[in-house]
Formats: sequence, C-alpha cells, structure tokens
Amino acid sequence: MDSSEMNEGEIHQIDSDDVIKEEDETENEEGEDLTEDAEALKAELAKIVVHPPSYEQSLMEEFDQAEFSPSYKDNLPKENLVLQYAENFRRQMVQLYRDRKPLFLNPVNECGVEKFVCTTIRPTLLEFKELYNWDGAAEFVADYLNIEPLKPEYELPKRLISPSTVLKRQKGNCFEYSTLLCSLLIGAGYDAYVISGYATKETCLADESRDICPLLKKKEEVQEEARKKEMKKYNVKPPRDLRSKFELKQEAKKEAEKQAEKEKQRKEEEERIAELEKPPPDPYFGLRIHAWVLVLSGKREVPENFFIEPFTGLSHPMDSSNYLGIESVWNNVNYWVNMQDCSEGVKGLSFDLGDSTVWEFMFPNNDKPLLKIPDAEDDLNDMDDDERKKYLDDEEHEVEKYLDMPPSWVDALKLSHRDFQMRCPHGKKTKVYKRAKLEKFAHYLMKDGLISRLSVYEDRELTDLMKVHEYYAHRSDKLTQKLTNHRTGQVCENFDPGRPRCLKEHQFKSSTPGPENERVMIFYHEARVDGLVKREETQTEMTEEYSNRDDFLFYKYVEFGKRAKKFGPQETSSANKGRPINKMIQKFHRNRNKPANEDIAEIIFHVAEDKIHISYHTEDVRIAASTREFLKPPNWDEKGAVLTFNPEMHQTFQVDPMLPMNKQVELYEMLMELLKAEEKCRNEVRDSQNEVRNILDDRTKEEAASELDISVYDTERNEKAKKHRRELERQQLEEKMRKQEMDIDYLAPFLAKIGNPEKLSKQQAFSLKEECLADLKQRLIDKANLIQARFEKESQELEKKQAWYQQNQVSMGKEDEEEYLTYCKEAIFRIHILDLRLTRHKEQAPHKYMQLEQKLRNDERLSEFF
Amino acid sequence: MSRLYDTVEPAVIDEEMLKKAVEEQGPKEEAGKIAKQEGIDFGDVLSLRLDFLNILKIDNLWEFTKLTKLQLDNNIIEKIEGLESLVNLVWLDLSFNNIEVIDNLDSLTKLEDLTLYSNRISTIENMDSLLNLHVLSLGRNQLTDLENLRYLRRFKNLKTLNLSDNPFCKQDEYKQYVIAFLSNLEFLDYRLVDQQSRDAAIEKYQVSRDEMLHNEKQAEIKKEDETKRQQELEKHKNAYVELMNGPDLFEQMYAEDKEGQKLNEMPGLEDQLHSFKEKFMQICTQIFDFGIAEHEKREEEVKSFWECVEEAKQDNKRLGMVHIDEFTETKKRMLLEMSQMSDHKMVEQYARDYNDKIQVLWDKLMGLELQLVDQLEEVIKEFERNMQDMVGTFVENVQALLSQCRDLENNHHEKMMEIAIVTLEKVIKNELDDEISDDLKMLLVDKDTIINAVSSSHDVHLLKIDNKEDDIVTRINQSLKNLIEQIHQDEEITRNRMRVSEINNLIDHLREEMDNLEVMQN
Repeated sequence: MDSSEMNEGEIHQIDSDDVIKEEDETENEEGEDLTEDAEALKAELAKIVVHPPSYEQSLMEEFDQAEFSPSYKDNLPKENLVLQYAENFRRQMVQLYRDRKPLFLNPVNECGVEKFVCTTIRPTLLEFKELYNWDGAAEFVADYLNIEPLKPEYELPKRLISPSTVLKRQKGNCFEYSTLLCSLLIGAGYDAYVISGYATKETCLADESRDICPLLKKKEEVQEEARKKEMKKYNVKPPRDLRSKFELKQEAKKEAEKQAEKEKQRKEEEERIAELEKPPPDPYFGLRIHAWVLVLSGKREVPENFFIEPFTGLSHPMDSSNYLGIESVWNNVNYWVNMQDCSEGVKGLSFDLGDSTVWEFMFPNNDKPLLKIPDAEDDLNDMDDDERKKYLDDEEHEVEKYLDMPPSWVDALKLSHRDFQMRCPHGKKTKVYKRAKLEKFAHYLMKDGLISRLSVYEDRELTDLMKVHEYYAHRSDKLTQKLTNHRTGQVCENFDPGRPRCLKEHQFKSSTPGPENERVMIFYHEARVDGLVKREETQTEMTEEYSNRDDFLFYKYVEFGKRAKKFGPQETSSANKGRPINKMIQKFHRNRNKPANEDIAEIIFHVAEDKIHISYHTEDVRIAASTREFLKPPNWDEKGAVLTFNPEMHQTFQVDPMLPMNKQVELYEMLMELLKAEEKCRNEVRDSQNEVRNILDDRTKEEAASELDISVYDTERNEKAKKHRRELERQQLEEKMRKQEMDIDYLAPFLAKIGNPEKLSKQQAFSLKEECLADLKQRLIDKANLIQARFEKESQELEKKQAWYQQNQVSMGKEDEEEYLTYCKEAIFRIHILDLRLTRHKEQAPHKYMQLEQKLRNDERLSEFF
Repeated sequence: MSRLYDTVEPAVIDEEMLKKAVEEQGPKEEAGKIAKQEGIDFGDVLSLRLDFLNILKIDNLWEFTKLTKLQLDNNIIEKIEGLESLVNLVWLDLSFNNIEVIDNLDSLTKLEDLTLYSNRISTIENMDSLLNLHVLSLGRNQLTDLENLRYLRRFKNLKTLNLSDNPFCKQDEYKQYVIAFLSNLEFLDYRLVDQQSRDAAIEKYQVSRDEMLHNEKQAEIKKEDETKRQQELEKHKNAYVELMNGPDLFEQMYAEDKEGQKLNEMPGLEDQLHSFKEKFMQICTQIFDFGIAEHEKREEEVKSFWECVEEAKQDNKRLGMVHIDEFTETKKRMLLEMSQMSDHKMVEQYARDYNDKIQVLWDKLMGLELQLVDQLEEVIKEFERNMQDMVGTFVENVQALLSQCRDLENNHHEKMMEIAIVTLEKVIKNELDDEISDDLKMLLVDKDTIINAVSSSHDVHLLKIDNKEDDIVTRINQSLKNLIEQIHQDEEITRNRMRVSEINNLIDHLREEMDNLEVMQN
C-alpha cells in the first residue's frame, strides 16, 4: 500500500458538514444585540466602504454552435463522471488546503459546456516534418497564434477553448497556447505536460524587449587551443634571451595593473547599464497566472527536463527565473497538484511525478513509477501466505474499479498546407526585443521575397536605427540576405550559388552604388573558370584574389591613375573608357615543377615608368630571392614596330653567383613574353571592370524586377503545373464519361417509357423485350436503307457525270479530263465501299439481333421471366 | 625506297650543315639578329630538322643534349646510330630512309613519338626501353609476321599505330588480329578503332588472347614477388642481419667443411645434429629479430633528427627572410625619398644611412647563421652520441648471442667427439650394424685421424661464426661513421659556406646598387 492511496482515503473521510457548521456560526453571531463597543466598532467599520471592482464580465466571444460536433456540446456519461470526480477532488483540496488558490480543472469550452482539462488535450501528429521536433513545434505555435493576455491577469480564465478552434481562429491565451503545443508534442512522442502556475510580467505578456534577440546572440566561438608544439628529442635550443628578467617582470606587472583597471571600469559600466535596464517593480509580482509546457526527459531522447515558453517558443532551464511558481501539471491522462514550496520560484522543484509526497495525483491509474514505502513491503512479508494472497486479490480488485480518462472530446486537429506555410496570422508577425525588432513574413507573401527583417537599434526606444538585416527566400536573383548598416552606409548582400557570375557576397556603400567605388565582391570560386575568390575595390585601386589556378596566380593588384580630363565635346565612348593604369602587381604560388630561380613569385608592371620588375621564389635552402628588372623598349607600344633590345635595359640580381648568365636571346624573349603578359593583364583588368559594371547593371535590373522562383513541385503556386494538372483531371473526367457511355443501358429508354417501375411484371417484361428487339430491327433496317440510299445517290451522280463527259468530251481540256478521271476513280471507290458495307451489314444484322436477344435473356431484370 | 642510290651524292652531318640548320630554324627577326651576334649553343637547341639532305650516316649530334624533337626524314640513312646522347628526345622522325633494323634506341627512354615510315624494316625489335611510346609509325616496311606484333604489347601508352602497306596487311585477319592483341590502341592506320570492331576482334581471338593475358599476368606476379623479395633482403641488409632468419649461417658452416659433412653420416648422430641445428637456428632468429627491431629504432632516431634539423632550418630561414623583406621595404622608401631630394648633403646623408642599414642587415643575417650553426652543432653532437650508444648496444647483444652460438658449437663438438670415438671403437670391433660410406670409413681408421677430422670441422664452424660477427660489426660501424661524416659535411660545412656566400653576395649587390645610384646622381 502506498502513501498516495492513504491520502486519498483521508480526503474521502472528511465530511462536508464541517463547512456548513462554520457558516452557521457566523449567522448566529449576527442575531445578537449589539453592545456599545460593538456599535462603535460598527460605526468604525461603516467608514470603511469598499466598492467591488466594477468588474465587467468581459464579453466572451460567441461561437456559432452549429459548426461544432456534438462532442463539444454535450458530455458523455463517462465525462460527467470524470467531472464529478474532479469536483470532488477540488472540494477535498479546498478542505485540506484552505489557503491554496483554486485549481484549473473544468473550465467551460467554446460551447459553454464544462470539460475536464485533461480531455482538452488532443495528441496529434501533423504531417509537417517541422513539427516533429519540439523546437519546430514550439516555434510554430508561437508564430501561428496571436496572444490574448489573461483578464484579469491574476485570475484563472473561465473558458478554455479547444485546440482545434484555437488553430482556426489563430489566437488564444497562455492556457490555450500550452494545450495546443502539448497536443502536438504528445502526438510527436514527447513526455509533455501543461503547467499552470505563476510567472513574471514579462513572460505573461510575452514582453521580450529586455531579452537579446536570439538571432543576435553570438555563437560561442570554440577557441581551438593552439596545439602545443611537440617536444622532440632533437629540437634545437632557442637562442638565449639576453633581456633583463627584472625589467620584464616590472613591465608585466604594469600591464596587469592596467588590465585590471580596465576590467574594473568595464564591470562598473556593465553594472550601471544593468541597473538602468531593470524592469520597473511589478505590483502583481508572483500573482500573475501563466501556463507553459514541461517536457520530461526519457522519451524521444530528451536528455534533461526543460520548460517551453509557448508565447516565444523558446526553451528555458528548470531553474528559470521567469517562472515563479507551479500550481498543477497535467497531460492527457492525469492531473497532478504541486505540493512543494514555491517561495523561491521553480528552482529546485522535483518533477518526479510518481512521488506522491510532492505531487498529489488525481487518478490513481498512474503510469509513473510510484515510490514504494518500505513499511508496507515489510508488512506484506510478515503476513502469512494466505493472507498475502487475499490481500493481493483485494488490491487487484480495487485497481479495476478505478476510473480512467475518457478520450478527448476535441475533433482531430487539422492544418492545411497553405495555413502552415502562412505561419503567422495573415502571414506577418512582429516581435520586439531588446534594441531590436524582428518582423516575420510568410514565404511568397511579400513581392520581393522578404521572409524576415531584423532591425537593430542603438537605444531601447527603437528610434535610432543602427542596422537592418533582411532575409529573403525564393528570389530568382538568389539574394538570401541583405545587411544594411545605417551608421556607415555599408550594405552587404549575400547570394546563393547559381548566379551567372557566381557572386557570393557584395559589400558596398549605399551612397555610392556605381562602379569604380569602394566595394568588396566575394565569389563562389569553385564555380568560376578563373578561380576568382574576392575582388576589392577602392576609387583608385583594385585587388583580386584567386585560388586553384593552373598558372599559380593568387593575387592581383592594380593601381589606377586619374582619367585625363578632356576638353571639348563629350564623347559617349569616353565614359566607358577605363581609367589609365599606373601599376599592376601579380603574385604567384610556387610551381614545384620549375626551379625556384626561374619560378616567378611576383611581377610588378610599373606602367607609368615603363619598367617591369620580377622577383623569383626563394630556393628551399636560401633566404634571398633573385630579382630582375627590365626597361621597356622605347617603341614598345607602337604597332608592328621592331622592338630592339640592348643589355642596358636589363638588370638582375642572382642569388647564386655561380649560375651562368642568361643569353641575350633568352632575355629578349623573356621581355617579349613580359610585354605580352602585361597586355594580357591589362585586358584582364578591363574585363574585370566590365564585369563589375555588368554585375551592377544586373543587380539594378533584378532589384527592379524582384521575381520569385516557384518550385515545380509547388503545385499550389506554380501556375503552369496547376494548369497541367487541371488538364490531366479534365482528361480523366472525359475518359470516365466515355466509359459510362460505353456501357449504356439499352433498356433504359423503354423502362422510362413505362415509368421506371421498381419491379417488372411478366407482361411488362415481355413487351419490353419485344419493344427492344423491334427497335433494333427497325434501326438495322434503317441503316441498310440509309446505305442503299447513299449508294444510289453516288451511282446516279456518277452516271450523270459520265453522261456529261460523253457530251463534252471533245471540247474538254486536258486538265478537265484529268479532273473527271480522278472524280470517276473516287466515285467508283466510294460506291464500292458502300456496296461492301451493305453486304457486311446484311451479314451482320441477324447476328446483332441474336446477340441482343441473348443479352436481354440474360439481363437480370428480365431473366426471371425467361 | 623513293630514289636511286647513286643519283645524288650522299652527305654527312657536319658542323656547317648543323650551323645552317640551327640558324635557319632558330629565333626569327630581332631575336634572330641578337642570337646570330651571340652565337647559338648546340646544347640549347630544342628541336632540329635535317630533312632532304641525303644524309647517309647519323653523326656529330652529341652536342644537342637538350634536343626534344629531331627530324631526319627523307634521307638515305641505313642504320640508326649516333643518337645515344640525345636522352631528352621526345619526337624522332626517321621516315623515308633505308633503315633495315631497329637498333640503338635504348637510351631514348623519353621518346613518345617514333616514325619509321617507309623503310626496310622486317622485324619489330630492340625497343624494350621505350616505355613511354604514344605514337608509332611502321607503315610501308617489310613486316611479314603478324606474331611479331605481340612485341608491341609492352607499350602500355601506345595509342596510335600505323602499319599500313606492309606485306602482312594483305592477310584477311590482319586488322582484327592487331585490334585483338593491342586492345589499348585508339587509332590504327589513320582510323579510329571503334568499340564494335574491337569487341568483334576480341571475340574472334578470345582463346589465344585469354591465354596470352593469363601468361602475362603470371609473369607480372612473378616479377612483383621477385622485387618484393629483393626489397625485403635489402631491408635486412640495412639492418645488418640478412639471411639470419633462415638456416643460411648453419649451412655455411658446413659448406666448406667436407669432413664435417662426412662425419655427420655417423650413425647415432642424427638426433644430436637435429637438436643442434634447431637450437642454433633459434639463436639466429633471435639475432634477426633483434637486428630488425634495432634497425627500426635507429631509423626512427634518424628520422626524428632530420625532422628537427629541417624545422630549425626552416625557422631560421623564415627569420632571415623577414629581415630581408623588412630591409627591402625600407630600401624602397628611402630610394623614393632620395629621388625626390635635391639637396646634395641630404642625399649623402641618406646614402650613409643606407649603407649603415646594409651593415645592420649583414649583422643580423650573419647572427642568425651563427646561431643556427651553434644549434646544429649541438644537436648533431647529441645525435652522434645517441647513435653510437645504439650501435654499441646492438653490437654487444649480437656478440652475446653469437657467443651463445659458439657455446652450442662447443657442446656439439664434444658430443661429436664422443660419438666419433664410440663409432671408431665399434668400427674397430666390427660391431657396426649399419653400412657406412667409404669416405667415412677413410676417417674411421684410427683415433688421431678421427679426432683431427672432428676438430678441424669444429674450427671451420667457429671461423664462420667469427666471420659473421666481424662482418656485422664492421659494417655497422662503417655505415655509422659514414652517416656522421656526411652529416658534418652537409649540414655544418657545406650549408654554412653556402649561406655565408649567399649573404655576402646579397650585401654586395645591395652596396653596388647604391653605388650605381650615387654615380648616376653625380
């Protein structure tokens, strides 16, 4: 026997007469004569006048009763039983614990019928995969519904609307939120409960303006500890440190002091700010009623118990300071009352629902493991075998009597695909956080594909905009994010892969969006032929970074000069002409196939000075690198000119003085190559400039158009697919119609003639058959006649034509004659066909007749008579 | 053959012809002019064309060591020769000549494209080393034997083959035969080999082809095994315990010991001999295992030593490069400033500063180098000490084990002696039941002879063991000495000289640059 049952027993023994007795006593006192003192007291007391708060019965929303199924409007006997049981439980609780607040047990539903809270939970697993995990479900509930705060905030609501209706009207109070979320979570297999209790004002009103937006929280950077250098046996000793140890120590000390000072200041500042931001004191602190969801560990691989706040969809730890107390907890099978002290909030509460010393349950069919009381065990052991057997029988017997929970009265929860995608009521929702505002939009709702916008402000009043973070989806230009910094005017756009020029990120200043201004473009270099990773521009410079190129180029830097100012009429082409190039630098990675001394590491084209400077890679065993410098031949940019070369134009430093000098021819050829390379580099720079211009043009066009892509699988939105499907459906319908026509009832017209009788008499059946056969006979004859008529008509016409031909044969031209001949051929063909048809008809007609007769004989309506 | 023998006078490749050809085919225009002034080294020429020159004999080409492409077509060459030094050749054209035998191509291992079109070749042969061959043209020759084509199977990269206008082309099965047996071919006789005809050909020669493939595979496996065995042996040799895992030493002991062999035939010796061999082998195996383990340890040691040295060198190099880069930056800045200055004194001041900076750079670089020298010296010393210790332990252990061998041998010797005397007595008493060989009988005549025989056998055995010991000890000591010397030479002396000369070269260059600048400004 366990303690919970004993409690149960005690409660049952208490007689309700006690309550009545007390009331009697108070009545008796009033009847006595009043002493002076009493009069004075009365006068004194009379001064105190209290006005009952002009509490308006808030007009409850009325629902059209017709749209609910009967289970909403009435109670089953079992439900009534449970309600009585609950009422009894409530009374006993009131008896035993007079100072306890009332429990939330049986509020009325939308039809004004009392329902037990446990039966209002309707475990449901919806078909959306996002709802299978708790975070997705919680986020959905938080997004999908609008909040109705409790009125007044310190009283339990009178009515609890079913989750199906809540889904329909998309709003609810905290209890309705929790019930819906709990239904979804239990449906998905979680061990979830609704909690009725008390919470802070911010939580009750879903006021997140003191919380940092979850999107802004920085992810904890996992700092990888610098791998300690492995001490090897033969590591060389570092050179001895010859600095003064004392000085170093002093310096370190000073540094540490400075650091500490700074740290202190920072802390003070933080404290000050925290003080400022503290919420104002709440007069109803601890009284505000709230409901939220508890998820216990064990099922669905949940490692730890946690709370879910239904208004925000966020999880909170078990010692969250947002929650101040718990009255009761329930799921779809049982109801528990908290017997623990909540003076310190929910910190340290035990959630072992099987422990009946801390959780008073309502139904004994508790699936939680009950705490065994050792005494009872011992007693059991002391008993004789017979006794024990009897005892156990009793227990079993007792268990069978227990009432279990009736099934939920709520209709199955339904959510259309469209509503699910809309997410929020009308597809929009705005949330306010500390110094931030988050707006959410349903996909495809906004013309430009915006799905959420996060605005970050400098101050808490949300007036001083700092930056805006916009997220997009389904855009045909693949834009996914756009970050606008309103302080610096910097804009950063992120794109998905799949754009024509593989742009990944684009940063620029909103004030100067045109080309040749400061910007950074990052590309998906894996997809680009030239392996471009990044292009950075300022007004006079451009830097490009590459990766994975066959020519080992990884860096290119270009310095532009000022455009030469032209006087005179403006040419249209001058705008497109690039700026003059002053200097170009190319850097290359080491190519292991070449000796280091011939592998160029860096080429600098001093365009303005007509010089080319080359540095080579350093050999593995050396520290210095060879260099080379060429002066360009004076007539290098003349077309078709013969370029001369003399040794003065070349200077070099070779690291290895033993190497033979290069031949003049080699140098000449090298110079030619370099001139070509310079030209190529110049062209590439121009191409880059053009590409930037093109990308910017594209962006402008895309911004103006802002088209959205629709997946071919999205049958709702994809017009083409929809059309196609409709077409298919139509075809199917036609096919069906045709099929129906095929097995048309040949008796139908004749039955209709005699008024479709339920049953046919023999007389009728016979006449029906006769009629039907006669009809067929007539039709067959008609058909034969028709063919004959046509045959005759054709033959006559042919004869006529022939006669006409005979007459006019002489005067006819060749063409007419040919026409006549073809006509004759066709006509004879037609006649022949008609002839054939007639013969065949004649042959088949008796068979058809016989067939129909057979069919009629076998027809189930007529068969009984034949 | 396209022309008659004696109509034109045959020519020889000489200096003049080569010079002309090189100049004609060398750089053009301006570059050509410069090249002509300077002269062209035959050693730098990459491609050479000597066609339609009536050359009879290939000669005088040894200077063209860098040549990758050589055309000798349309001559009257009769023999392939004089190409041995052209090892870089990738393309060789000998078409339209009078060559009868393929020969002297063994050194041209890089050859990818070989044309012998229109010659008088009757057998495909002597091309074993041309494994990189991609393109081969043997059209219009005297090839008659289809079987001979199997020779071409060794060229795994051969994709293009021309055999047209050979006598065997008239045979019906020619094409299918070629395709079936050279299935890697992509082009045959100017045409693409399509999958369909390849399948058909393979089907036709399925049986013989499978057999051939099988044989090839077997040969390959055999070869692999052989190389593996060689490698293993090499490894054991490096551990100085080669053949110790087998009965090699034991067998060697008896190899030169004829008397011992005879004595072993003595009756009643079998068990003794067997157990002796077993014990002996056990110790040998111990030596082997120990040797391999020690070798691995030493390898590990050497590896870690090199890793550390390499690391130290890299670190040092990085520091040096940082200094040089810093200096280059300063130099650039200073030169820019100087070029903008007009005051003579200021310029001089700057020049002095610059020279000082060069000196500072020199100091820094030399300091770094000295530091590295110190570090390396220390590490090398430590390494040397450790290696010597390891070699010492190895030698000691091997010696201990070998002395166990000696003990075994001594034991065995005593037993032999006993048995020999017993046998001798038996022989003398004519009690011996078994038949014994005549050789043995010769020894079993009197006591002295038999004792002498047994002792000499014992001496031979001991000598073998001693030899083995000497061999191991000398070899390991020698190689250690070599290694240490090598390290001293490379890491301490050569490296240091090179770096110092490099630094000085750099500093000189920088100074010179400055001087030039000053001269120019003055």
